[in-house]
Amino acid sequence: MMIRERNHNGVTIVMPVGRLDSSSASQFMSGSPSFSGNGKIVIDLSEVDFIDSTGLGSLVGIARKKREQGGDVRLACLNEKLRKVFEITQAFRLFDIYDDAETAAGRQG
Amino acid sequence: MKTLIVIREKDYGWMSSFFPGVHPLVVPICNKPFIEFLLDFAILAGSTAVRIVSDGSLNSVEAYCETGDRWGIELGYGSIRQNDSDETVMEKNRLFCSEDRVLVINGFIFIRYADKAGLKSFFAETSSGSLSRCSSGSIELTGIPEDVSAAPGTLPFSLTDLHSIDSYYRLNAEILTDYPSPYVLPGYSNEPDCHMGRNVVISKGAEVIKPVVIGNNVQIMKGAIVGPSAVIGSNVIVDRESTVSRSIVLDNTYIGEQLDIVGRIASGNTLVDPETAFLVSMEDPHLLAGMNKAARRQGLVLIRYLAHAAIALLLILLLILPYLFFRILLSVTAKWQTRAVTFYGANEGKSFTSALPSISCGGTTCSLFTRLSLDRFPMFFHVLAGKIGVIGSFPLEVKESGHGETEIFSGYRPAVFSYAEAEDWPADAGESAIVERYYAVHGTPAQDIVLTVKAFLNRMHPGEQE
Repeated sequence: MMIRERNHNGVTIVMPVGRLDSSSASQFMSGSPSFSGNGKIVIDLSEVDFIDSTGLGSLVGIARKKREQGGDVRLACLNEKLRKVFEITQAFRLFDIYDDAETAAGRQG
Repeated sequence: MKTLIVIREKDYGWMSSFFPGVHPLVVPICNKPFIEFLLDFAILAGSTAVRIVSDGSLNSVEAYCETGDRWGIELGYGSIRQNDSDETVMEKNRLFCSEDRVLVINGFIFIRYADKAGLKSFFAETSSGSLSRCSSGSIELTGIPEDVSAAPGTLPFSLTDLHSIDSYYRLNAEILTDYPSPYVLPGYSNEPDCHMGRNVVISKGAEVIKPVVIGNNVQIMKGAIVGPSAVIGSNVIVDRESTVSRSIVLDNTYIGEQLDIVGRIASGNTLVDPETAFLVSMEDPHLLAGMNKAARRQGLVLIRYLAHAAIALLLILLLILPYLFFRILLSVTAKWQTRAVTFYGANEGKSFTSALPSISCGGTTCSLFTRLSLDRFPMFFHVLAGKIGVIGSFPLEVKESGHGETEIFSGYRPAVFSYAEAEDWPADAGESAIVERYYAVHGTPAQDIVLTVKAFLNRMHPGEQE
């Protein structure tokens, strides 16, 4: 899995590319220093074409860790496949999900 | 133009006791799912794309509406969180809302209108802002009007609150008597105020008094009187000499012989008085009963049961000797106790009780006992009895307060081990429910076998979990 990072208004936008499953979840979780600390980050999922329960677990794990440290995680750009997984599992109850990463990053909350 | 429909759980929470398991957007109003009325309005207002967003599940709405092809529109879905303000909702849907005029229907409201033809021009000419508001919701418009020179017209619609079962009942009655009706109701209508579905059998001597709406596959037996002001759903039998007037009979309901349903809502075996919201469940299936839908995926259920029973049997054989050893050892030292625990079963209203060991010791003995999952040993027998699975959801304990019921989610399958344990998810109920829902949809019996082994091994090595 490849992980791209960019910055918008001082907020790190992390963009994983590929599948977020049992084979890549641990790599993803350790893939960015911004996953720890108390800042806000946005995970742009536009380039993730598959997610399974382990992948979901990695997102939940990152969010839990960030929130424990006073930070926050927002998700953006879910494609239709991912949105359905979030809908079926009701994982949407745990995350703020935005249409686009810049809006997610833009508003300090 | 586009339409954003925002509906929140707090707006429709009251419905769950009257329509358990049915999303309010697919609850029928005069036999037509509520969402269709909203989509009709959005289309008449000139929308080509609609997005439905909610802080609750939209699974059943999506299963019904799909991508909106049936209405010739582009239909999408989105999620918000419980405490999101209206401003945050718009931000979360920025891409959908950015390039167009957007009609925002916010809340659990019914939109009444008389002049279908005038809606499109009204929305094209009206300036943005809040157009109408009531206690259950509002209608707003964003973006620049197409025709800025036009004078603002009078509001061609009004909002009806849907905040109680009485408001739902009265709305059905009003739509039924609206003439000429601006709404398209299901069924064919040879004469005004009478809509009939397919395969409706009206026996000799039965009487149908307008206005009525009758669904598909309905039998009205000899001597029965249906109407006036009756809404009869699909797959309904009104048996001999019964009367249904000023009432709503929902799908899959049997009305027994010589029963008078007047001013009530009947659904399955429950009868509701809309004025008082009093709900009574009839125990006698000859009076009022739900009619079972066709058996679903029985084959798959059997295969799943066989796989789970086989693993349970294997684990019983593997663990019986250690279990007996610990039981004797701890009984001798008076550290062995059992505790009867009642859990919610997989089917609504069912529960099961298991006598689970409760040992009062510390150190290595206790740790080994738990690591070998011997604390759950008696539950394997419930798997053989088909009451629970060997892997599924954390079984929820029945509490005297009844609080646990609220935590039961669709797809809840109580089991000895949980998918969350297999996947090393945290024990937090909200988070572990995510992985349980995932496997409720994506799981297979073969995967269940692998995940049971993983859960068993994870319990054996708890230190390696996060």
